[in-house]
Amino acid sequence: MRQISRAAVIWQLIAFAGVVIPHVSWLPFWLGGLCLVTPAVRLMIHTGRWPLPHWSVKLLLILAVAAGLLLSFSRETGMNATVALLVAGLALKMIEIYHRRDALVLLYVALFVCATSFLYHQSIAMALYALFSVVLVIAALNSIYQDPQRTDLIRPLRRSLRLVSLSIPLMLVLFVLFPRIGPLWSVSMNQQRALSGLSDTMAPGDISQLTKSAALAFRVSFDREIPEPAQRYWRSLIYTEFDGRSWRVPAEYDRRSPGGESLLEVERLLSYEVIYEPTNRHWLVALDQPLSAPQGMRFSPGHTLYSLRAVDRRQSYRLRSALEYRLQPILSGRDHTAYTQLPDGSNRRARELALQRWQEVDQDPERFVARVLAQFNRAFTYTLTPPPLGQDPIDGFLFDSRQGFCGHYAGALAFLLRSVGIPARVVGGYQGGEWNPYERYITVRQYDAHAWVEYWLDGRGWVRVDPTAAVSPERVVEAADQVFARDPAFLADTPLARWRFGGSGWVVDLRRQIDALNFNWHRWVLNYQGQQMELLTRLMGQVSVLKMVFALLLPFSLVMLFMAWTQLKGRRAKPRDPVDRALQRLLSRLARLGVPRCSDETLQTYTARVVAEYPEMRSSMEVLARLDEAVRYAGQSAQARDLLAAINDCYRALRAVRPVSAENEVK
Amino acid sequence: MSDPLLNAVEDALNALERVLLGKRQQLRLALTCLLSQGHLLIEDLPGMGKTTLAHGLARVLGLEDHRVQFTSDMLPADIIGVSVFEPTSGEFRFHAGPVFCQLLLADEINRTTPKTQSALLEAMEEGQVTVDGHTYRLPKPFFVIATQNPATQYGTFPLPESQLDRFLMRISLGYPAPEVERELLLGGDTRSGLSKLPRCLTPNELVEVQQRCATIHASSSVIDYLQRLVQFTRDSELFSYGVSPRGALALLRCARTWAWLEGRAHLVPEDIQQVLEPVIGHRIRTAEDIGSHAGTRLVNELLAQVDVLG
Repeated sequence: MRQISRAAVIWQLIAFAGVVIPHVSWLPFWLGGLCLVTPAVRLMIHTGRWPLPHWSVKLLLILAVAAGLLLSFSRETGMNATVALLVAGLALKMIEIYHRRDALVLLYVALFVCATSFLYHQSIAMALYALFSVVLVIAALNSIYQDPQRTDLIRPLRRSLRLVSLSIPLMLVLFVLFPRIGPLWSVSMNQQRALSGLSDTMAPGDISQLTKSAALAFRVSFDREIPEPAQRYWRSLIYTEFDGRSWRVPAEYDRRSPGGESLLEVERLLSYEVIYEPTNRHWLVALDQPLSAPQGMRFSPGHTLYSLRAVDRRQSYRLRSALEYRLQPILSGRDHTAYTQLPDGSNRRARELALQRWQEVDQDPERFVARVLAQFNRAFTYTLTPPPLGQDPIDGFLFDSRQGFCGHYAGALAFLLRSVGIPARVVGGYQGGEWNPYERYITVRQYDAHAWVEYWLDGRGWVRVDPTAAVSPERVVEAADQVFARDPAFLADTPLARWRFGGSGWVVDLRRQIDALNFNWHRWVLNYQGQQMELLTRLMGQVSVLKMVFALLLPFSLVMLFMAWTQLKGRRAKPRDPVDRALQRLLSRLARLGVPRCSDETLQTYTARVVAEYPEMRSSMEVLARLDEAVRYAGQSAQARDLLAAINDCYRALRAVRPVSAENEVK
Repeated sequence: MSDPLLNAVEDALNALERVLLGKRQQLRLALTCLLSQGHLLIEDLPGMGKTTLAHGLARVLGLEDHRVQFTSDMLPADIIGVSVFEPTSGEFRFHAGPVFCQLLLADEINRTTPKTQSALLEAMEEGQVTVDGHTYRLPKPFFVIATQNPATQYGTFPLPESQLDRFLMRISLGYPAPEVERELLLGGDTRSGLSKLPRCLTPNELVEVQQRCATIHASSSVIDYLQRLVQFTRDSELFSYGVSPRGALALLRCARTWAWLEGRAHLVPEDIQQVLEPVIGHRIRTAEDIGSHAGTRLVNELLAQVDVLG
């Protein structure tokens, strides 16, 4: 067991810091402290101020850390606890780094911890940082094998940089070719907790919470035609049930047989790809109306798209949607009941109002809607910070506050429609999105969340109506960030939001460019699985196992050959002298014939061996050996030309020689 | 190639071979050592013919020899000599010790204490001894042939590196081949043959041979090879330390003599290879175990690693 050098100890500290830093933000505070304390202790030992800790101290530390982990993570059984355990082990091992074996354990675990940081962040910056910490760990690994006399700290880093840069081509090849094995790496972090986004219940005001977040919801790239902003209604959820306060998606949502309204006529078809951020929920988004569900996805009864398994990682899917369509105009009796259901006794004033209007418009649904929207337009204001509503929120909204966000208007309109027996539902999703001109895609963020209404028109089917458009038409036409920019509640939870999202000119430009970079990163790196087959087919035609194996082996063998070649080149540089060159040619020829020269053999001794094997070479080889000695050792350089001739003679004579049989070689 | 001097040396070799059967290579090396004006260390187990070799060499080269059996209670004065008060003249008179001869046979040199061993140092290096402030020159030529049992044997004082370095060569004789041993057993006592050995060279001729050997042509190729060998011992991790410049010079000197014995006027790499092990074997140590004697293994490694042709 070798003790590691002092420089190596320093490198262990650096590597440790490198891999732990990304985790500090979420680790419990005491574990973060431990990660600071143990390297400090090791540094004290390193400088000779403290001795190596006694085993009893180590035991106490282990018990304390184990207790701490149990306390901190007792309610969680997920990746967090596992990663925290790894980090804690790493921090404790730091104290007793002494032998090479200790350092190896530390560094292997460090590489693992480095990999786990991808569970938390998958951005470009994280990938670059991980590469950087791999360089640090490899440098530390180098340092423990370095001559203990060497104290310089830079040499391991240089070697590590060289190793890592040499391996980058191999990394790329593996990335492109290696088959993606899904379940191995699909560790769900914490499935109970929904990430930010739409929820399956919607009380008035819920959606305005989302406007505080600029988190990415999804990105969409269109193949050809891009819909107008006013046509970008991304349907996600159908809120059917109303309990007097909030709208809810039916509980049997996922279990219902796949179905939905059947499309009769479709026009203006759009093809697009959605890259959807993880939500830990089932629902997805689609531009209405999508034609067919991709693999692993289904349509809900309301013809929204949902995934069979919860979306716990970034997912991409391709869809075709029709912007102009006609649905089968038949509503079953059961559905009719469901879509007109209202709780008894609540929001009485609103009901009265609805019935009154219903009479005024001669029971014409379209005129009824127009009437309500006109009222919204006249007397209501649109705000991100609506006042709280009382026991009957629809009443409170319609008669008292008269200001609200899209959820209020949609909920109120659907309520009014149902009050007079028109089937209606609230649709939750996103509206609009920001067009990125650099990579030609649309970015939809959480603040683009929106709610609108669909009501049933006999003979036409479901018709979309967006009451928000009546109050604040610019919300639908312009990008959400432009509309909300003046409202102080907008992006209240996002630091630096004013600067990041509010600005204009070059700030917006820069942000869009960075976002485009991220888009490509997500599309080509994180979601590469989807593109792999396509790319491989383009590169090698029909993809077969044999071709894959070959394509994997080829670059590896090229790298190996390159390394072998550099090794050999270093050993025998090509001689300049024509005599030496000719001699080397002759010797390698003889080596191929089964009699390689040993390095301690002069031509004189070597000749004896060659002649024993190939007697026919006797005369020419002996002449050669004699001349070689004369020129090389007896100082008769005048005979150099004869020597060259003799070498060439030998070489020519060798052509006639048949190699000794394999049998002889074995002997 | 009928050099009378070379013939005389060949005669001496042949005569010696009749006494030490089957040891031509070792005899040649021993002779090379003396002809290169160097001291010889013979290392082997007791009874392998070390003393016979030393005596034989003294006889064929026509040198006056003394033999000192080293023991653990020996004092430097026992070798160098001592000043004794003479009552008749009332003065101290120097009584020369056994070191005053042309060939000193130091038998079992590692049996004696380091103090006595180092008393030989000045004699070997300077060709002179100093007693009571007086310096006495030793005769010329002056050779030391020391024999020793391998230092791992019980009750020995291993020679320090500085003292080992004074010996130009270290050879060991080894067991005879079976057929040679059989001849030996049948032939009876070889020691009696020792007294019948002819004297083949006069001291003057010896000096002339030494001069001739020094003039052997060493081409740059051969010097390159020698340098590569020496450099390898310094760079390689196998060796705890490399061969000194003195060692390199010794190597060249012995190789020249060997070439002359081969009847050549120039050096070839084989000459160096032949004398390499005896000349540097006792000057190098392995890196792993600095106390061990692994000279032969190291030299084989060295030969295998360093390319003759460069």
